[in-house]
Amino acid sequence: MRNWRYIVYIVVISLAISFPFYAGVHPIHVATTILSLLALALSWDILLRGGQLSLGVSAFFGIGSYTTVLTHLNWEVSPLLSIVLGGLAAGVVALVIGLAVLRLRGLYFAIVTLALTFIFIVIVRNLTDLTGGAIGKLIPSVIFGGDPAMIYWLTLAIAVATIITSEIFQKTRIHFALTSIRNNEIAAKSSGIDIFKYLLFAFVVTAVIQGVVGGVHAQRFAFVSPEESFSLTFTILPLAMCLLGGSFSTLGSVIGAGGLGVLAEYLRLMMPRGHLAIYGLVMVMAILLMPKGIVGTIREQLVRRKTASS
Amino acid sequence: MSVLRIENLTRRFGGLVALSGVNLELRENEILGLIGPNGAGKTTLLNVISGIYLPNSGRIIFDGKDVTESPAHIRCRLGIGRTFQIIQPNQNLNVLENVMVGSLFGQGAGLKEARRKAQEICQFLGLSRIERDITRLTVLEIKKMEMAHALATQPKVLLLDEIMTGLNIDEAREVIELVRKIRDQGMTICVIEHMMRIIKELTDRVLVLDRGEVIAEGLYEEVSNDPRVISAYLGEEE
Amino acid sequence: MLAKLRQRDYQILIAFIIVAAILAFWRPHVLISGLQRGSLYVLIALPVGIIYGILGILNLAHGEFMMLGAFFAFSLVTLTGIDPLIAMLPAFPAMFVVGIVTYRLTIKHVVRAPLNQFLLTFGLAVMLAEMANLIWTTRPRIVWVPYAASSATIGPITFGTFEFVYVAAAAIVLVGMFLFLTRTRAGLAAMAVGQNPRGAKLVGIDVERTYMMIFSACLAVLGPIGALFLIRHAIFPEVGGPFSLRAVSIVAMAGFGNLPGILVWGIGLGLAEAFVRSFRGWGGWADIIFFGMIILVVFYRSYQRRVR
Ligand SMILES: Nc1ncnc2c1ncn2[C@@H]1O[C@H](COP(=O)(O)OP(=O)(O)O)[C@@H](O)[C@H]1O
Ligand SMILES: [Mg+2]
Repeated sequence: MRNWRYIVYIVVISLAISFPFYAGVHPIHVATTILSLLALALSWDILLRGGQLSLGVSAFFGIGSYTTVLTHLNWEVSPLLSIVLGGLAAGVVALVIGLAVLRLRGLYFAIVTLALTFIFIVIVRNLTDLTGGAIGKLIPSVIFGGDPAMIYWLTLAIAVATIITSEIFQKTRIHFALTSIRNNEIAAKSSGIDIFKYLLFAFVVTAVIQGVVGGVHAQRFAFVSPEESFSLTFTILPLAMCLLGGSFSTLGSVIGAGGLGVLAEYLRLMMPRGHLAIYGLVMVMAILLMPKGIVGTIREQLVRRKTASS
Repeated sequence: MSVLRIENLTRRFGGLVALSGVNLELRENEILGLIGPNGAGKTTLLNVISGIYLPNSGRIIFDGKDVTESPAHIRCRLGIGRTFQIIQPNQNLNVLENVMVGSLFGQGAGLKEARRKAQEICQFLGLSRIERDITRLTVLEIKKMEMAHALATQPKVLLLDEIMTGLNIDEAREVIELVRKIRDQGMTICVIEHMMRIIKELTDRVLVLDRGEVIAEGLYEEVSNDPRVISAYLGEEE
Repeated sequence: MLAKLRQRDYQILIAFIIVAAILAFWRPHVLISGLQRGSLYVLIALPVGIIYGILGILNLAHGEFMMLGAFFAFSLVTLTGIDPLIAMLPAFPAMFVVGIVTYRLTIKHVVRAPLNQFLLTFGLAVMLAEMANLIWTTRPRIVWVPYAASSATIGPITFGTFEFVYVAAAAIVLVGMFLFLTRTRAGLAAMAVGQNPRGAKLVGIDVERTYMMIFSACLAVLGPIGALFLIRHAIFPEVGGPFSLRAVSIVAMAGFGNLPGILVWGIGLGLAEAFVRSFRGWGGWADIIFFGMIILVVFYRSYQRRVR
């Protein structure tokens, strides 16, 4: 049983790494997009495990994008380093915001994170000298000279790093802390859990991931603008993916991202405007009809069958 | 020697005075019974001691340290353990993992050590089938798990809020025995209980709260004959 | 929930009045346009506060529902040529039906499940805005009526007079809501449900029905509000978003479940934004005022919680 699992891992990883060797340019692009959305979905889920609903994924994504482009342009930082800086900037913003609002949490946190996206759109628009205002900024050259395979591998590395982070969160004491906080904060406090510390940590780590994904996105398309970089799409799609696949697990977001990501490509072509409505619908339907998502529902069935037979 | 000393504690909820000038001393290794009619403020007192609420005024001295302002998780680590009247087991974890949470964070144990300690404690309390989903536990098992969870934080003082409620006589007897066993390990215990029989059998000393005030304190026999206590309880039955 | 203004609200109210008095001399047009804008916020935030108080759901899609009401009025106006003010009348029952359908299909299944319901209303907001995008495209739509541009001049300042309709509407909704919740059986029942649903059920109140009626009524008022909004603003699918965000922020600033506070904070926000807008070249920053305010409030409140 155990060995089977490792064989599956190895097969999936080798297929993923070798993908650019047998796929065309378009599929590589699609896969790159799906991998970055996967990282966003999973990072969102990690914080949800502590009962905190962040609606600010696109804010950290955008902060990462802008920091990457601006440091690259103004300080001539190398593309890879600029992406790291993008992640750090997102982390610093999360730290500051978290210090202010993670003591009240709950709805306050959800509202503040949602507002964050709009706030940064306003800031970026108004700091015209620095950010290029409503028009945004262009980078003269795409990362890796625009080689789709290299960009794909970079994104794959980030997605895998996110999966590993998620598994570390699931397998260590952090898991016990976050799930206890989600269950009942008062009981969690009384068991010695420093709620603020754990949530702040999770918030900052996930923001860094989102910032890095944003940085790669900016380097890949070589430009930033308020509407594109802070687009709510980067909040809505990951949420829909995670909710469909199943929250509170690594596999859920992976499956949700895979499924919805492929669908998203077709939708974009078939429904040039308004296709986000579908993701809104997916979110609503998943919450109403399948609150545990695909993975959670299947797992529940398996457990039921097992206990029925024993 | 007192492990926990409470001086002049007052806690208000809006206009309601839930605790008013409460003084209390927990002596080392005793079992103190905390009784009083519904709404007397017993749970609130536990909440203030464990740091869920901060008091409006008064002091809490634990183990020689002033913990009046300390957050709840720090008090837990210092050695104040508790159970909840309305139990909130974590459904995402199995029995053993629920207990592990106590040792992981209450005493900063690593995963392996926490697992070993949790197993020990479960065994000590006679809690078997510890890998089970907690939705399938009996009431007694859930109560034991709550106690195990509190014990796993390695407390010096254990506060138990109505753990016998909902148990039948035999089960309650079993829990009484367990509480005694825990005390014999050197712990100081404060129990909130409604059934007088249990209080009489289990406790060394009794403190009676009514409408947020301590109206009597002493041995069970003294307290149960105190006219103020009798009238407080009669008032409830009307 | 209705209770008198809390002491803190009084202090804030007094602070606002002092600020308003200063503004009246220094920048009178700020006072007027801030009041007008703030009234619009109150109009949209009040129903959000009521739904929260009674159903325990923070509706993040409220601005989008107003956008829907506005598009309904717009369609009526362009199809039939009636005056937008007349379109207010059919917009009310139309949004009521939208409310019933939304409640039946979605809200009903998540009442009192805080995380899920907030996510759900977020999903609804996305769906509504994007469906409007599908139907009406992102092109801004306007209707033109002569009275909308009416203005008055007092001394050195000139200001739009039509916008006072928002102030009047806010007053009407506020008073109407207050009378409903305190003077009618249905309103008192609703308050009872909000305070203690299980107890309300025990004394024979139909809790489910109360939830549905309150939710639908709170959406229904968005019909006429949408029509009024249309008269003075261009509408497009994303026009509701900023109002949703401000509405939930105002409810949060007031302290969840504190209705009178919504009035104070809504007007306060309107004034603050108008104040920033009055500085040439700084107007763009007005949109982040609400964020600054909510951060300050949250910070203050978490500090309070520790001290308390
Ligand atoms: N969080 C709270 N907010 C408002 N009132 C509370 C709160 N907790 C307890 N109370 C009130 O304090 C009083 C004492 O309650 P409690 O300590 O639970 O009583 P007991 O446990 O003795 O039955 C009751 O009137 C209760 O309604
Ligand atoms: Mg109690």
